[in-house]
Amino acid sequence: MEYSRIPRLRALAARVAGLFGPRKQDSEFDEEVQAHLQLLVDRFVAQGMSREDARAAARRQFGNTTLLQEDRRELRTLVSAEDLGRDVRYALRSLGRSRAFAVVAIATLGLGIGASTAIFSVIDNVLLEPFPYKDPGRMVFLRIHDTARGPEGERQGYTSNEFLEFAGQNHVFEGVIAASDDLVLYKHGEGVELLYGADVTPGTFEFFGMPALYGRVMQPADYQPGAPPVFVMRHKTWMERFNGDRGMLNKTFVLNGTARTLIGIMPPRFGWYEADVLIPEMPVPGVSTGFAGLPARWFLLGRLKPGVSKAQAAADATVIANHLAKINPQDYPAHFQVFVKALGDTVIGRFESTLYTILAAVGLLLLIGCGNVANLMLARATSREKEFALRAVLGAGRARLVRLLLVESLVLAIGGAALGVLIAWGGLKSIVAAMPQNFIPAESVIELNAPVMAFTLVVAVLTAVIFGLAPALQAARRDLNDPLRDTGKGVVGGFQTVRMRDTVVVMEVAVSLTLLIGAGLLMRSFVALREVHLGLQADHVFETQLPLPEDRYKTAAQIRGFYEPLLARVKAIPGVVDATQSSALPPYGGMDTKIEISGKSHADEWHTLLEQVSEGYFRVLRIPFKAGRAFSESEINDARKVAVVNETFVSTYLRGENPIGRRVKLAGLETLADPVREPWFEIVGVVADVTNQGLQAPIEPEVWAPYTVTGSGAQVLLVRSQQTPMALMNDVRQAVWATDSGVALAFPSALEDHISQLLYAGPRFAFLLMAIFGCLGLILVTVGVYSVLAYATTRKTHEIGIRMALGAERADVLRWVIRAGLRLVTAGAAIGLFLSLLLGRTIEAELWRGVKPYDPATLAGTTLLLVATGALACWIPARRAARVDPMAALRYE
Amino acid sequence: MTDAKKSEVLQGTLDLMILKTLHALGPQHGFGIARRIEQVSCDVLQLNEGTVYTSLLRLLQQKWIAAEWGTSDNNRKAKYYSITARGEKQLAVETENWERISGVVGRVLRLEEES
Repeated sequence: MEYSRIPRLRALAARVAGLFGPRKQDSEFDEEVQAHLQLLVDRFVAQGMSREDARAAARRQFGNTTLLQEDRRELRTLVSAEDLGRDVRYALRSLGRSRAFAVVAIATLGLGIGASTAIFSVIDNVLLEPFPYKDPGRMVFLRIHDTARGPEGERQGYTSNEFLEFAGQNHVFEGVIAASDDLVLYKHGEGVELLYGADVTPGTFEFFGMPALYGRVMQPADYQPGAPPVFVMRHKTWMERFNGDRGMLNKTFVLNGTARTLIGIMPPRFGWYEADVLIPEMPVPGVSTGFAGLPARWFLLGRLKPGVSKAQAAADATVIANHLAKINPQDYPAHFQVFVKALGDTVIGRFESTLYTILAAVGLLLLIGCGNVANLMLARATSREKEFALRAVLGAGRARLVRLLLVESLVLAIGGAALGVLIAWGGLKSIVAAMPQNFIPAESVIELNAPVMAFTLVVAVLTAVIFGLAPALQAARRDLNDPLRDTGKGVVGGFQTVRMRDTVVVMEVAVSLTLLIGAGLLMRSFVALREVHLGLQADHVFETQLPLPEDRYKTAAQIRGFYEPLLARVKAIPGVVDATQSSALPPYGGMDTKIEISGKSHADEWHTLLEQVSEGYFRVLRIPFKAGRAFSESEINDARKVAVVNETFVSTYLRGENPIGRRVKLAGLETLADPVREPWFEIVGVVADVTNQGLQAPIEPEVWAPYTVTGSGAQVLLVRSQQTPMALMNDVRQAVWATDSGVALAFPSALEDHISQLLYAGPRFAFLLMAIFGCLGLILVTVGVYSVLAYATTRKTHEIGIRMALGAERADVLRWVIRAGLRLVTAGAAIGLFLSLLLGRTIEAELWRGVKPYDPATLAGTTLLLVATGALACWIPARRAARVDPMAALRYE
Repeated sequence: MTDAKKSEVLQGTLDLMILKTLHALGPQHGFGIARRIEQVSCDVLQLNEGTVYTSLLRLLQQKWIAAEWGTSDNNRKAKYYSITARGEKQLAVETENWERISGVVGRVLRLEEES
């Protein structure tokens, strides 16, 4: 009967299924056979045989049941467990005999698999499954993008009115919730502490689908006017700040002057808004003020109805936004677009491409590892030719030989995977430590979990196939006679084997160069990034935010009443050079405002960043003046409407004119909680440009005004010191408490560390990992080149002996071997260069502007490094070859 | 009749005979199938009845037949095999094949005898 291709596939499926649950089938079959035998016996007895004879006859007629059972097993499964067990035992024995080979192979694979496992677990936990919430894939937020401006022209904070409108009028969301910043001062016996709080709207906890770990979450009743004030705490805060004290539950805390009851502690992975405490708040229509007297802004999160796409949601939200823009034209740019972004985009964004770049790098590393092991196996296969030929002669089929070798590969790969998991487990800790803060969602926990382990297993099996199949097929293809005749010394394997080993080395070199160039480019980029001048001197500066209790600090006069004595006290601390107030923290400028300039008419809107400062600001940050002067103390004290602008401001709006004495209207000041009437300011000075949008974005026009003109705005204290900035912290805190015991330091840090964490941590992470993987790749390739050449020269000893006997000099032999090796290395390097240029686009996104993917210095440097290392790897076997004693080499014949 | 005169079953033909048996008699257990083949072949074929089960497994894997536990005439638990729609199709194809090939082989053999 004919079994064509499809039936064969069907049988394969049945066999694969047969791998599972064979035991039940076996016992069922036994039952069937026994029944059959019994029927036969009954029949023979009926024919007049004795029971004994009948039984014997039945067995005869049925045939050998053991053989039958074996036939069935063979039919039913891919490999019988017995055979597999025998192969594994054989593989272990054979690997045990060549222990050096096994160790090198397992170590190589372990490195590759370990690195991939570590990086994949970061990706799985950060990108694929970061959120423990209900249906996180359908959670989206809205972003309004000013089409006339770059990526900075976006907003994702909305007024209460806008929130109510979006939540009430949409047709695409199952639910919409919102959260708003709320810095919480928590008063206890000794003083005040700061907690980062979030006001959350009704339905927030139902939206995330997470119950409290202890106590309860907010109920609708908690949002009713007149309901007893309550709050919920994040697990991390509870553990770190309150030592996980369960007695706190249902106790009352004074938060921002209100006595609130702690009703619940959230589970560890609940990290919404990264808030320490969550406070119920019902957004009410009309203007409301939030943090530091600035208008309250809500961050919206919606859950898409099933089947609704982001594009559909964006279209629906655009209708609502257009309606809102008609009512509040001042809140909307002339032309805007509504983007719908996934929850994960809040934090990961740029980091995503970094992680995938690194995963690609790790994949390449694994590929090099596979290449090495494949080469070792090919070399080993050549010396085992006789063994295989003998097996074949004794009746082993081709498939059987391939299987034997694949099992050997699998054993190596599993060993590599086991080592890899250990490496990943250790490496993951260092990776997490090196990872920039705030780059991953607060909810994600990076660990080796089940999906990651499954990934490792799949990788191990795949690698076994990649590095094992070629040598296995090669070995099985052997002619039976040649190897048995061959002495194993004269010829360097078959021509095929040599070519395959060479190809593998060339590919390895190419891949390694690609990796090295990637690492080199990231290093160049990082160095270039560090060399960018920020426009200010961040060293020896201590910074802290000082959120002031809103009930007592509303007006400009009240704020000044706090800062005047505070600055005097801080300046009196020994070691302090200077101190200043500011409303923004470098490398970012202050709030964005529309402006008008006297004597200038323009159709489009003019914008600038606005920062309120005290007179010491430019001295503390060492920002040089290009024209005019800084604020005087009396100008600050009298809240005079004077302004300092940056060079970009002048070149953008007053090109070729003298800015000093011009008047500029800072329209944004009119709409603050503590508004400034007629906000026309006279420009008294121009300073050099200072980074005010981070490093990547171009510098924007910026204006500085006296902090005494308004009571609204964020409060930052900057102190220049002679010693390590953090050494000042206690003295500064005492000074703050001496001025007002109800004020806490928020996020105190050295300005330099703060900037470094913000700007350099990400690139440093990418560069560090790439450099590590690049170096590992280089080491593996060196081992690869070395092992191939060493093996080839050992096999050629006889040939070298003859050549030397015929008059070749040692130098000739040396040159000969090195040339053979370098030919492979240079061929690989050429392919690698080509590959890098081809892949340049993928890494370009990771590079700091100014560094091109074809940066000649990097290309030249890394290629040189690789070729030099390659030459070194050739040198050792070459020298050994040159030392061959012709007599000894020939004597073996 | 001695064993020496019995013919070995050609590989693959057993599968075909079983399919045909199930097609003709409806659901059968292994013992029944063996009896039927024995009866039809008039003891010409030498059959290790165990091999019927190997053949049944092969056919099951192709989904040409289906198996089900049931109760035999004498109240014993037995596995009943029946031909599937797919099996019927295969049987038609294979029967035609068989007839064509056996026809050709027969003609060739007759030619040999005549020459």
